[in-house]
Amino acid sequence: MRDIETKSRKSELLIILTIVIASVPMILAFSLLVLSSFSEEMVTNLKSFRPTLENWINLFQGKMAITGSIRVNIFEITLNTLIVALGVAGLVTIVSTLAGYALSRMDFRGRKHVMIALLVLHAFPGVALIVGVYLLYKLTLPQDPDLMRFYSFFYVILARGALEIPMSVWLMKGFFDAIPWEFEWSGIIDGASRITVWRKIMLPLVKPGILAVALFAFIAGWQDIIYVRTFLIDQTLATFIESNIESEFSHMPLIAAAGTLYLLPTIVFFLIAQRILLQGYSGGLKG
Amino acid sequence: MLVMVLIFYLIPLVMTVYLSFTSMKNWNVKYLFDLVGFYNYHRLFYMFQHDPSFKAIVLTTIVFILITLVVNVFGGLGLALGTFFLSDIVGSKFRLLWLLPRIAPIAVYSLVWYYFFHETSIGTLNSILMELGIIHQPIPWGQIIPWGAWSVIIFVNGLVGVSFGMIVFTSALNQIPKELVIAARVDGASAWTISKRILIPLLKWHLLYVLTWQFLSLLTTYCHLFLLVEWNLVNRDYGTTLALYVYNTAFLGGELDQGLAAAVILSVIGVSGGFLTLKLLGFEKMMKRPRGDV
Amino acid sequence: MVRIRLENITKEFGDFKALDGIDLEIEEGEFMALLGPSGSGKSTLLYIIAGIYKPTKGRIYFDDGDVTDLPPKDRNVGLVFQNWALYPHMSVFENITFPLELRKVAKGEIRRKVAEVTEMLKIENLLDRYPWQLSGGQQQRVAIARALVKEPDVLLLDEPLSNLDALLRIEVRAELKRLQKKLGITAVYVTHDQAEALAMADRIAVIKDGRLLQVGTPEEIYERPRHKFVGGFIGNPPMNFLNGFADRGILRIGKSTIPLPKEYESVRGEVIVGFRPHDVEIGEGIEGEVYSVEHLGREQIVTVSVEGEMVKVIVPGDRRFEFGDKVRLKPKKIVLFDKKTETAI
Ligand SMILES: Nc1ncnc2c1ncn2[C@@H]1O[C@H](COP(=O)(O)OP(=O)(O)O)[C@@H](O)[C@H]1O
Ligand SMILES: [Mg+2]
Repeated sequence: MRDIETKSRKSELLIILTIVIASVPMILAFSLLVLSSFSEEMVTNLKSFRPTLENWINLFQGKMAITGSIRVNIFEITLNTLIVALGVAGLVTIVSTLAGYALSRMDFRGRKHVMIALLVLHAFPGVALIVGVYLLYKLTLPQDPDLMRFYSFFYVILARGALEIPMSVWLMKGFFDAIPWEFEWSGIIDGASRITVWRKIMLPLVKPGILAVALFAFIAGWQDIIYVRTFLIDQTLATFIESNIESEFSHMPLIAAAGTLYLLPTIVFFLIAQRILLQGYSGGLKG
Repeated sequence: MLVMVLIFYLIPLVMTVYLSFTSMKNWNVKYLFDLVGFYNYHRLFYMFQHDPSFKAIVLTTIVFILITLVVNVFGGLGLALGTFFLSDIVGSKFRLLWLLPRIAPIAVYSLVWYYFFHETSIGTLNSILMELGIIHQPIPWGQIIPWGAWSVIIFVNGLVGVSFGMIVFTSALNQIPKELVIAARVDGASAWTISKRILIPLLKWHLLYVLTWQFLSLLTTYCHLFLLVEWNLVNRDYGTTLALYVYNTAFLGGELDQGLAAAVILSVIGVSGGFLTLKLLGFEKMMKRPRGDV
Repeated sequence: MVRIRLENITKEFGDFKALDGIDLEIEEGEFMALLGPSGSGKSTLLYIIAGIYKPTKGRIYFDDGDVTDLPPKDRNVGLVFQNWALYPHMSVFENITFPLELRKVAKGEIRRKVAEVTEMLKIENLLDRYPWQLSGGQQQRVAIARALVKEPDVLLLDEPLSNLDALLRIEVRAELKRLQKKLGITAVYVTHDQAEALAMADRIAVIKDGRLLQVGTPEEIYERPRHKFVGGFIGNPPMNFLNGFADRGILRIGKSTIPLPKEYESVRGEVIVGFRPHDVEIGEGIEGEVYSVEHLGREQIVTVSVEGEMVKVIVPGDRRFEFGDKVRLKPKKIVLFDKKTETAI
């Protein structure tokens, strides 16, 4: 906020100091992880930073342990994570854009109930659902191994996407609500069909909204562990880290490197999408 | 969308409720029609009375939710107010920083704290304290029951939840006319007085909203806890909440039928909480009908 | 009560210069209006006097003390905002006592002061209400009461009447002026409404694009604008302007000529002549053609086209004019402005 300019800067410094102190553990913990990935030993004990790129080289070569021959394909794992994230982002964006438009602009029967249902669903314990979702998965899983793998991708995207949809629809509805009706009316008066109006007028206007929804859905898909480990047959970065933490042979700095790799998109978003991150959340949360 | 809601919400919901009345074990389809009535609910209640593990889980759930809720709401309020009094650029940088726990991959976020609270001298906390001479042996923080384990899970989840309140409060603060704050400044009010006397009273409704909403989230969240428990960073009983208990019984082997009963109980609390929130939000206001007949 | 002195005040917001070298003195107990179009920097200047903004350059003195770096609370100013900024969750009483509470004034003293100020503003019976239960006029009084209750040395008002409807505005402005004189308080009043400034102020400072164009009594500003903009901004309808050429006491406008008054005899070259619609007689002089006529009861405004430029004149309502009538205009009082700088000659 733009405060009065003549006040002493002491109180401002005090606030900054307080927030910084509160943030120290978080900053420390994250930076130590990133640092460790470039170090021969974990530096989480604040000692012995001996820089090396070996962890990253080993990670990309899939050498899980310093000795031994356990190998993984980290590229494939990353690709799996990306598929899930992009799938969730695509699905959520399409569904919520269409549904958001319908809820904002069309007065159909049961509209109100759909909206209430969406909000209540959002508050619904995911864990109660995942059990039923899993049973459905068990019952529909194809037998053919290749098909099974494909199906598990398909299913995890649907299931994880479904979890994001209620809020995203609300968010999209908010963006559509913000567009004056006059734009649309003038389009219709000029003789365009509703579909054309939607494509030519509404879509460009809600682009920022679509971007925000896509970004959040991507983050949700990218960060997920529960759905991925429950449904997906292949490994993602999340399950890779999960399963290698306690194992005897894994070299800890290498896991740190995997974690840093996994964190990379988050950092990229921090750098390029600050406004969307800060505003999008608030728009969605206010409903 | 309706199809997805059907497949991923309604059918699973019906299944969960139904299964909670069967003796389903290990996803074995042969138990599918073995109806046992309220047996699972009774057992749950019985366990609560006699099984120390389950008792610990219920207790953990309550303590975890209450304290984390306070941390979340007041942390969020504090951050929102604090950054409100900073220049916009600095303020938004801090707010961004505090989004990190929410948008970082769950596995990475948990990993970071795994190393921080690690029970050996590799743990950051242990090595700092040892360096300072406060302790001489590394301490397995998460294994000290109950408060060690509770502190760790509250700390880790507390940071995640702070951003929600922070963002809601910040957007509410931005809607308050700046002149109110400046008028108080002209009369000589400090940031603290302005917060206490003007800003917080104006945020009353948002406080209530964040409180109920965050309560629901905490009731149902379990992904960070899952990893902390699985990696043995925190004690199994005192690091597990009901939601995690349901997940573990379902997917890590256990009394699935009882887990399902617990899930149904959670859902009932969740849905009633959801409706309560709607009431608080003044839902009718948001329901403006679309204009025109098209 | 204090005398305010502004010295070379400049305020920049990033690259944008909102105020540019303002020098202004406001006497003790004086009612000074800051007048200018929207966006000219009036509020910015007021906020600098209040201590909300810090000038990029220049200094501010209250009496002889330099207050440039003092925060508002140490300047003892009362400030009334355009939207009044009443705290919505506090009753009228709480709103008014808030500044006193911050100063840790004793309870009994608070009650006495509130009684005094509310009686003066005739809002004693509103104390238990909340802002949303008040009419616009009442809210405005509460805002003034809140500014006055701490007995400030200076009262600063930022377009306090612009949210009131037209009739109420005229009523309130008389009252406000009376109150200011009664208290003898130094007042700085921001407005974009020239009629308000003329009616209320002891002196008016006209601001445009962050520059101070003229300071003077309402009469001076009205009669002897020092800048073309001032003439065009003040009066309703405002001053008329025509391009002309002055030479040896004669002003030529198109084909017509009029004699110049004594003080302009030595002027030679291209000029702009300004005259007020009231100060024109129809008879000999500048040739023009009636373009439109608006009747206002006892008077009428006749718009005359002179060499393609429109000139408004106010004449008694009894004469009839038709569209296209040829008329000759004779300005009784004129002001000449330099063609290039648009400042008065
Ligand atoms: N805080 C600010 N940041 C940037 N520009 C500002 C700020 N405040 C005012 N301005 C600009 O300064 C100019 C003068 O503003 P202001 O003093 O509010 O005008 P007035 O009150 O005369 O309408 C305007 O062009 C406005 O856009
Ligand atoms: Mg203004």
